Amino acid sequence: MSLSTLTKPWEAMSYGFLDGSAKRELRRKMLKSVAVPGCQMPYASREVPMARGWGTGGLQVSLTLVNLQTRVKVIDQGADDSVNAASIRRFIARVAGTPTTMDTLEADLIQSRHRIPEEILREDQVLVLQVPNPEPLRSVQPNMSIARQMHADADYGRMWLQLYEQIVRSGRVMQGASYPSLVHGRHVMTPSPIPRWDVPKLHMAKHLTILSAGREKRIFVVPPFTRVEPLVFSDVPYKVEEHGALTCTRSGTTGFFMNEIPQDDGTSSFEISDSEWGVKTIRARDGEGENRGETWYKDGEMPQ
Amino acid sequence: MLATPTPSPAETRDNTAFDALLWTLSRPGLPRKLPEPGEGTIITALLDRECLVYSADPLLMPEIMRTGAELADIDRADHVFLGAMTTSDPIADINIGSDFYPDAGATVIIRASFGSGPALRLAGPGVDGAMSLQLDGLPDGFWKARAARLRYPMGFDLFFVDGARVVGVPRSTTVEEV
Repeated sequence: MSLSTLTKPWEAMSYGFLDGSAKRELRRKMLKSVAVPGCQMPYASREVPMARGWGTGGLQVSLTLVNLQTRVKVIDQGADDSVNAASIRRFIARVAGTPTTMDTLEADLIQSRHRIPEEILREDQVLVLQVPNPEPLRSVQPNMSIARQMHADADYGRMWLQLYEQIVRSGRVMQGASYPSLVHGRHVMTPSPIPRWDVPKLHMAKHLTILSAGREKRIFVVPPFTRVEPLVFSDVPYKVEEHGALTCTRSGTTGFFMNEIPQDDGTSSFEISDSEWGVKTIRARDGEGENRGETWYKDGEMPQ
Repeated sequence: MLATPTPSPAETRDNTAFDALLWTLSRPGLPRKLPEPGEGTIITALLDRECLVYSADPLLMPEIMRTGAELADIDRADHVFLGAMTTSDPIADINIGSDFYPDAGATVIIRASFGSGPALRLAGPGVDGAMSLQLDGLPDGFWKARAARLRYPMGFDLFFVDGARVVGVPRSTTVEEV
């Protein structure tokens, strides 16, 4: 063994920004999280040139997975053109030389903040969700060590109690986003703050979903064809947001998750949250070609 | 303006190898291609100084040592290379992690040949319904020994390597011999 076999040629920057040891650690943890779906695995979470809490967990996963052929799409609350999404997309393209896209159907890797696109993801696509708080038990058990014990024991009684109390107090489950869901019948996870509308899209999906929390240093995975069941009582069915009948004021599309925009007169207007779906709808309406893919929701309903 | 870094051949190889591992572990029973035959690319993609490695195959030692990984006994190792197995005894000693930290369960790499030998039926996460797989070159009682060790979420995850092809069988997969 000589010095030259121990060193590598000098590089101004590692490909994909992260250094080799960061990538190998993430690879090992990703494999373990695939093997135990929904179980939070601790990882090192390195520094990236972005503040913790702005998608650093998702970014590290994306940077580990990308190569020169990976077409990357980044969305923030459904929109491709918000500042956070645009910055992350440009950063990945700059440090990894990847092609980028806004079209869900063209993308190989989709990094998302708090939404799952409306078009059905294929088996060759990977969805990376940014997670602010990976611990579903935090609201009922702030002590992380005890929460870990509860996950180990599959002790989710307090989780159920919380949902029950919400129904008693308010007549319905008040949990809007990050609805606690049971993965593979064993681990309760938070699906990141995606709306209730998006949770059924994870159940038995064809694509791989990786959820990564950079600030909290936890990673977990929903593999393809894995049961993801929102926690519900048998007599109080799971309800998604009542957006099925709403129409987008800009594109005219109906039956998808909408952003509510308050108006001066106290009413609301609605705009499609998945911005690229809106763009595609407008293009189809203006006769510029139809390239909309199949959607999870049909006529505002998720087929059972 | 920053110049975009270009991937080195080693980076490309590790990235491709990991892509194959991630794909096949999340779709148990479906083989994927590693960039090169054998365990070499798995070693460089996953191992470094933070790993405790056990290898039953002395021919893999130089490659493992080059990563800086520490050698360990099989019951402490987080990566276990069993080569071509002759007996299923080592299964009894593999580290399966704990209920607190299931991620401490080992990753086990075994040489086998695909497409011949006893048929297996796989079910569980990543499998759409059921999946059949034929694996040859495993010792008798291998799957019984595995089932006896698994206490989900505790357990170990298997990769089978046949030339440049790799098949993953995570602990979440139930394996039935048919």
